[in-house]
Amino acid sequence: MATETSSEQANKDNNDNEYVLEVNDLQTYFVSKWGTVKAVDGISFKLKKGETLGIVGESGSGKSVTVTSLMRLVPSPPGHIVGGEVLLEGQDLLKLSDKEMEKVRGDKLAMILQDPMTALNPVFDIEDQVGEALGIHEGLKGNTLKDTVIDMLQKVRIPAADTRMKDYPHQLSGGMRQRVVGAIGISCNPVVLIADEPTTSLDATIQAQYLNLLNELQEETGVGIIFITHDFGVVAKMCDRVAVMYAGKIVEQADVREIFNNPQHPYTQALIASVPKMEENVDRLYAIPGNPPIPNKPTPCQTCGEASPILVKHSEDHWVAKCGSDTSCQGWFPRDLD
Amino acid sequence: MTSENGALLELKNLKKHFPIGGNFITGGHEYLKAVDGINLTIEEGTTYGLVGESGCGKSTTAKMILQLEDPTEGEIIFEGRNALDKKSSAQRDYKSKVQAVFQDPWASLNPRMRVQDIISEPLQVNTKLTKGEIKTKVGEILDQVGLHPYQAGLYPHEFSGGQRQRIGVARALALNPKLIVLDEPVSALDVSIRAQIMNLLMDLQKEYGLTYLLIAHHLATVRYMCDKMGVMYLGKMVETADTDDLFDNPTHPYTQALIGAALPYHPDSDKEENILQGEVPSPINPPSCCSYERLCPDPENSGQTIGYKEVGPNHSVAIAEDCYSEHGCHYFPRVRQ
Repeated sequence: MATETSSEQANKDNNDNEYVLEVNDLQTYFVSKWGTVKAVDGISFKLKKGETLGIVGESGSGKSVTVTSLMRLVPSPPGHIVGGEVLLEGQDLLKLSDKEMEKVRGDKLAMILQDPMTALNPVFDIEDQVGEALGIHEGLKGNTLKDTVIDMLQKVRIPAADTRMKDYPHQLSGGMRQRVVGAIGISCNPVVLIADEPTTSLDATIQAQYLNLLNELQEETGVGIIFITHDFGVVAKMCDRVAVMYAGKIVEQADVREIFNNPQHPYTQALIASVPKMEENVDRLYAIPGNPPIPNKPTPCQTCGEASPILVKHSEDHWVAKCGSDTSCQGWFPRDLD
Repeated sequence: MTSENGALLELKNLKKHFPIGGNFITGGHEYLKAVDGINLTIEEGTTYGLVGESGCGKSTTAKMILQLEDPTEGEIIFEGRNALDKKSSAQRDYKSKVQAVFQDPWASLNPRMRVQDIISEPLQVNTKLTKGEIKTKVGEILDQVGLHPYQAGLYPHEFSGGQRQRIGVARALALNPKLIVLDEPVSALDVSIRAQIMNLLMDLQKEYGLTYLLIAHHLATVRYMCDKMGVMYLGKMVETADTDDLFDNPTHPYTQALIGAALPYHPDSDKEENILQGEVPSPINPPSCCSYERLCPDPENSGQTIGYKEVGPNHSVAIAEDCYSEHGCHYFPRVRQ
């Protein structure tokens, strides 16, 4: 195993210009009178054109705060992006003014939210909501706008789009609504599309349809997708690369096959082992003892007590969070045992 | 005590139709058929899995078993006796033997009650134990579900999601029940916690001979926990079988689609995809029952009666009994897009 370290190194290994999004050492903290929660604590990753990066983690691991930081939508106060850079096609989003950021949001960088019922406004029809971003960013009006809206709805396979666009969100089924949210997301040809658990509120058969649709849209447009999920099934189906988040840090990052075939970090290994499989009947699942820690105080590793891990290169393009140079410890894995 | 065939719980032609429209005097003129004639048998000490998509009636079925809804028609037989008997002694006995664990441990525990009160409430109502005995019993139950007896004085908000679900399980165990209805017991929990709760439930089953009815939409969970299972669609049971048999030989096109739509467990998985077309019809006026496989030539007069065909031991599948076509369609109404 090579012992090169540090996250910047991870990002500088490859040629920079093929990446559409680069996140370096991003830190987002929430400050309250009870202390500071380091929700995102120095994470780095990169995304190529047409690639899907899965960010996997459980609730509280910081995956949603990561993407809201990219969109600069962290509620402030109490949230603050305290450091790092987010380079979208070379432009640091964290240095933009609020006005300039508005031009990026929904245009080059778009997002699909988890729950389509709350993501859509119940008092506007579909045409208004899909057309809003097109009107603002592309300056479309009148019939051109209408045609583009129909075009977008057809892209997300909504049947009879020209009549359906007069419907209100409550008239559509859950799967249709999420398609509309998808149409809004891709309407301005984004460079990067962030999908924050877009299928958790959908039924299994609808989920499969929707994931296939996202794959098709990616092939057509070459958009880079960041897929937030806690489901390794979604990762297996959708992602090219995977970053596993735990307690505000990325604990393992690698190609999707490498993660499944050769997981190095104990948390990744345990997560994969603790999920039941439909294809085979096992007698007993591995259960991870304890609960994930809340990162409001230093989070020492349960094996060796080290609180600040470093990313160590395991093999080409495979990084694992380790506890310093102490190689006897398998990986930085703090856990609240009760 | 069970009936002759070893069944702890039997549902016979159970129906729940909700009236729609009208007012409280005239009543509804149309009915939403949430559950429309299901039959199932759960043997003592086993786990029965009920799967299906939202709106298929699986939660309404659970509510009827817990007697939170009165069935429109049909029978619930528990330990060989009619569970719908309204005599208060019979009701008290039934309701202490049938308990539930709910999906959301944030919503199912009263935030103003301490853990000891949550767990001891059923004991105070249903048993004649003294205060001291109840306290000892609460300590024992907490120990069984992997919590510490000293945590009895805490409030639900002081626990994590997994621990809260353990409290929910503890409450269900308090009266030494026979049957526990598990309504999506792990889907609100974090991935790393789910296996803990599933293993706990299976350990308790082994130790106390409990019988479970597991309602879930995650097929892998059902395969892990259940002995037998049934697939529900639009208020009806479309396929029932032993769990392994159902996963190895799915017969009904909907079951095949559910299994086909489940996510792969590995990026190189060669699992066949089977994407279902169309949408579930409204349960108010569903189209004729074989509309998925081929358009019914005479939807008014055929494909309206559901029947069951045995395709293997313990394995039956729903068909359209009066179907015009010779091979007989499966019961599978669907709205085409």
